[in-house]
Amino acid sequence: MMQGPDIGKAIFEHTSDSRVVELPFGLGEWHLPTGWRLFGIDVSPTKHVVFMGIAAALVFLTIWYAGRQVERRHREGKAPSGFGAAIEAIVLFVRNDVAIANIGHGGEKFAPYILTLFFFILYCNLLGLVPWGATPTGNLAVTGALALTAFLTVEISGFRALGPKGYLKTIVFVPPGMSGLGAVAMALIMTPIEIIGKIVKPFALTLRLFANMTAGHFVILSLLGLIFVFAGSWVVGLVAPAAVLFVVGMMLLELLVAFLQAYIFALLTSVFIGLMQHAH
Amino acid sequence: MTALLLLQEAAHGEGGFTPFSINTGLIFWTVIVFLLLLAFLWKLGWPALLKSVEERERRIQQQLDEAARAQAESARLLEEHKRMVAAARSEAQEMVAKAKTLAEKERETLLATARHEYEQLLARARKDIEAEKEKAILELRREAVDLSIAAASKLIEAKLDTEANRRLVTEYLATLGRPQ
Repeated sequence: MMQGPDIGKAIFEHTSDSRVVELPFGLGEWHLPTGWRLFGIDVSPTKHVVFMGIAAALVFLTIWYAGRQVERRHREGKAPSGFGAAIEAIVLFVRNDVAIANIGHGGEKFAPYILTLFFFILYCNLLGLVPWGATPTGNLAVTGALALTAFLTVEISGFRALGPKGYLKTIVFVPPGMSGLGAVAMALIMTPIEIIGKIVKPFALTLRLFANMTAGHFVILSLLGLIFVFAGSWVVGLVAPAAVLFVVGMMLLELLVAFLQAYIFALLTSVFIGLMQHAH
Repeated sequence: MTALLLLQEAAHGEGGFTPFSINTGLIFWTVIVFLLLLAFLWKLGWPALLKSVEERERRIQQQLDEAARAQAESARLLEEHKRMVAAARSEAQEMVAKAKTLAEKERETLLATARHEYEQLLARARKDIEAEKEKAILELRREAVDLSIAAASKLIEAKLDTEANRRLVTEYLATLGRPQ
């Protein structure tokens, strides 16, 4: 077996969170402060926190600028154009075909949340494709937290839409038409399933986004790692061009996946909200 | 096994993170960052964009409604116009029919008058002719009597009793004048 560099370790270091942010163009490293504690939890910032902040700032700038542009064109009585029109098209798609289409009546109320979710995840995904970038959405804590907001939104909006009694029915489920002992038995069987159903949804959201983002990076880094594995041998002349070609292909695929996963996260959150809103 | 070893090894590295470690602090940060972004966009981002969009949607809907209304209006006007044309046409037909009957009546009266007049004329002419004929016959008879008397008197002047002969001839002529 060939004695190469530890590619696995390099891949893990690249995709995992870190206390150090690599600055672009060889400007060195930024060592983040440590030892921040809140309620006994270590809340020191990490690389993914920094990139989340960057993503949030970029999202805000994008929407703010597009909004200004669209509003100005609207005031002038003209159709939107250029950057504003492009962002507006995406916003309209997410609002109408993702949020309102899946939540149903009253979906406009949730549109800002779904839109924010979509753009924030999209920008986090895309930051991983930029040189010196990192993908916050390739971190279980981040996707888990986003899924947690989705879970809370689903449950709280469901509670408000259905009322306490209606909401209780989504936990203790008795099939319509059953009464007496049968109803008690069904409730005993169905309640754990309903509770599991509620909890599984955010878990699915968490893992899907995390796995998609991390897997893409693993594949790209593994392909690039092949070059280092074969370094020093004549085979590298064949492996390197092939690996680079595959990496370019993977990068394009990752670009698609970045949009796709943001879309799926927003879509599923909308579907879950809609399911709760119109339960029974 | 290798993966597990890798995980352990990575955990000893920079900051003690692996791709699969869950950092509770990061959950906190994610929620903070996301909620901040949501709050900022809710106040400053989405209203501008969505208000314009909703207003445009409303305007387009309004224009569509207006177009539908205009179409209904035009359909109504067309219907009314058609009805008016039909009414005018029936009225015209009625007028033409009335005029026709009037003309017919006029013609009839005119013809009747003409026939009456003609018959009157004819009757008068006939009466005149009759009278003339009568007169002419009377004249002719007298003339014939006179001529016959003159001729007879010339013929039998001397002997014959003129008065007796005259009666004879007149009687004869009267038999001639009577229709057989």
